[in-house]
Amino acid sequence: MSIMEYNGGSVVAMKGKNCVAIASDLRLGNQAMTVATNFEKVFPVTDSLYCGLAGLATDVITLRERFRYRVNMYTIKEERQIEPATFAQLVSSTLYERRFGPYFVEPVIAGISKKTGEPFIAAADLIGCLNFAKDFVVCGTASDKLFGVAEGLWEPDMAAEDLFETISQTLMNAVDRDAFSGWGAIVHVITPEKVISRTLKARMD
Amino acid sequence: MSRSYDRALTVFSPDGHLFQVEYAAEAVRKGTCAVGVRGKDVVVLGVEKKSVLQLQDPRTVRKVVMLDDHVCLAFAGLTADGRVLIDKARIECQSHRLTVEDPVSIEYITRHIAGIQQRYTQSGGVRPFGISTLIVGFDPQGAQPKLYMTEPSGIYSAWKANAIGRSSKTVREFLEKNHKDDMSRDETIKLTIKSLLEVVQTGAKNIEISVMEGFNKISSLDLAQIEAIVAEIEREKEQEAERKRTRLAATAASQAAMSAAASGPEVPPPEA
Amino acid sequence: MAECSFGLVGKGYVLIASDTSASRSIVKMKENEDKIKGLGPNLMMAYGGEPGDTIQFAEYVERNLRLYHIRHNHTLRPASAAAWIRRSLADSLRSRHPYSVNLILGGYDHTSSMPNLYWIDYLGTMVEVPFAAHGYGAYFALATLDRFHDPEATLEEGLETLKRCINEVEKRLIISLGKFMVKIIDRNGMREVEL
Repeated sequence: MSIMEYNGGSVVAMKGKNCVAIASDLRLGNQAMTVATNFEKVFPVTDSLYCGLAGLATDVITLRERFRYRVNMYTIKEERQIEPATFAQLVSSTLYERRFGPYFVEPVIAGISKKTGEPFIAAADLIGCLNFAKDFVVCGTASDKLFGVAEGLWEPDMAAEDLFETISQTLMNAVDRDAFSGWGAIVHVITPEKVISRTLKARMD
Repeated sequence: MSRSYDRALTVFSPDGHLFQVEYAAEAVRKGTCAVGVRGKDVVVLGVEKKSVLQLQDPRTVRKVVMLDDHVCLAFAGLTADGRVLIDKARIECQSHRLTVEDPVSIEYITRHIAGIQQRYTQSGGVRPFGISTLIVGFDPQGAQPKLYMTEPSGIYSAWKANAIGRSSKTVREFLEKNHKDDMSRDETIKLTIKSLLEVVQTGAKNIEISVMEGFNKISSLDLAQIEAIVAEIEREKEQEAERKRTRLAATAASQAAMSAAASGPEVPPPEA
Repeated sequence: MAECSFGLVGKGYVLIASDTSASRSIVKMKENEDKIKGLGPNLMMAYGGEPGDTIQFAEYVERNLRLYHIRHNHTLRPASAAAWIRRSLADSLRSRHPYSVNLILGGYDHTSSMPNLYWIDYLGTMVEVPFAAHGYGAYFALATLDRFHDPEATLEEGLETLKRCINEVEKRLIISLGKFMVKIIDRNGMREVEL
């Protein structure tokens, strides 16, 4: 059993037209035993940038705290909000710092640039190798299933409501095929004006 | 290089002084006065409160602090230095409990604090703590109240009653005259306030009193209580003065009478 | 793992139960060990795991929270204490000698007037939950709690649910854990309750 699968959980992010969406399941497990069904893996970084972390839960929490610290320091020193692309580099360098004793976490980033209004998604592996995609990024125990469903459902230039529907269906159908993910989900759709967060009712078995 | 012993703190002057330590003692003498008095099964700390500015929150100025459930400390001198020393002492209190399960004894924590103060007189690049402390409390076993004092030099000593800070000499002399063994709670509090009144002209509103009676049994008197005791002391002083006046008047009267009697009706000169 | 502890929140209180055995390998050394430590007036912690580590870590936490109390004149709120404890374990995990201690942390937050329960394992995984369990007993207790837990339950009902868990563990687990100790925290502080 891999350490990345110890607690379970999955995250997916998708690009739309002038919007992005990021979603995670809510399960926290101890191998096969479900401990909690309220464990969110997506965290706000700024009001138009979210970061999702799937992997070992202790590192999910530690990294969330470290990212919050580094982003706060950036905001204070630079006197401006961090851009999604900059945050991606910050994530990458934070992870690569631990190249030979890594945090067992795969991050997913989704946001909209305040400067250009461009939607942005990215993912990284556990040592910080970035992957900038123009369609969708996935990670977690259901990542293989997520790839399959997303490949089938995703279309370019979806509007916010369409994107919400697509990411929800992608996540729910993928995690239903994964024993280590599921037990509810939460979706954030980020538009230039606002963020819409919805919790999804899903199969609880 | 001349007078370098006056600058580098770890160097003796030719006549055997460590000037920085003596300057630290001077800083203590400039600090507000603190008094500690031991009674039969109570120990009382009294401090002179600097009158706070009109818009200041008086609760943020603390001169009496808890180190643990059973140890209390008052200090005179540089408040900022005090805070650092207090924090070190608090850590030691918890660390001692963690390693040997028992709370610290009062002598132990005093020795620890004095040890820190001494260290800062013998190593380079530091300056001594500009504070003296009064440490009171009860040992883990035993109902005997304890009172210790530490100084910037690292000296520590046990006392029945003592004072540190501004005009501490006056207060100590007063305590030497008036301290009795085995005082009750009320007597101890009263003596503390009385001794403080020797140097605190402004009375009750500039006095803070903490009473310790055992583990976790610490209370501070509120203004009304202190005012009541101050009033009582004033009244007694008044009566004492009154008695003195009447006694004086009586003596004066009797003396007058005596001298009157002595001078009496004058003997008429013999007839020529 | 032979040890077992669980906790649940009800209306205005949090309950934590723990077995009272202290064992080395297959030998039971003691059967009246209190493995629920009070951490200040409104917080308690059930601990289990590597013998030695458990007590060492629990006392380390206890003294540090006490130090915080003395330094700042108020205790940490349950959420903050939990975050500190979690971080201690997470840092320890990547040190040369990690603590292997599993915890259930229960507290009453006087600011929000709400009871809190946290599940924390030796890796530093933490989650706030309505009910929690550690050890082999968790497999039975979690199933029982899934079915019977009610966050609005009165104390009597909460204790009834807890009894069901203990009964289930005693019935199905092949190891006998002996007596269970139950402690409660509500707005009035911590106390032990007899089942």
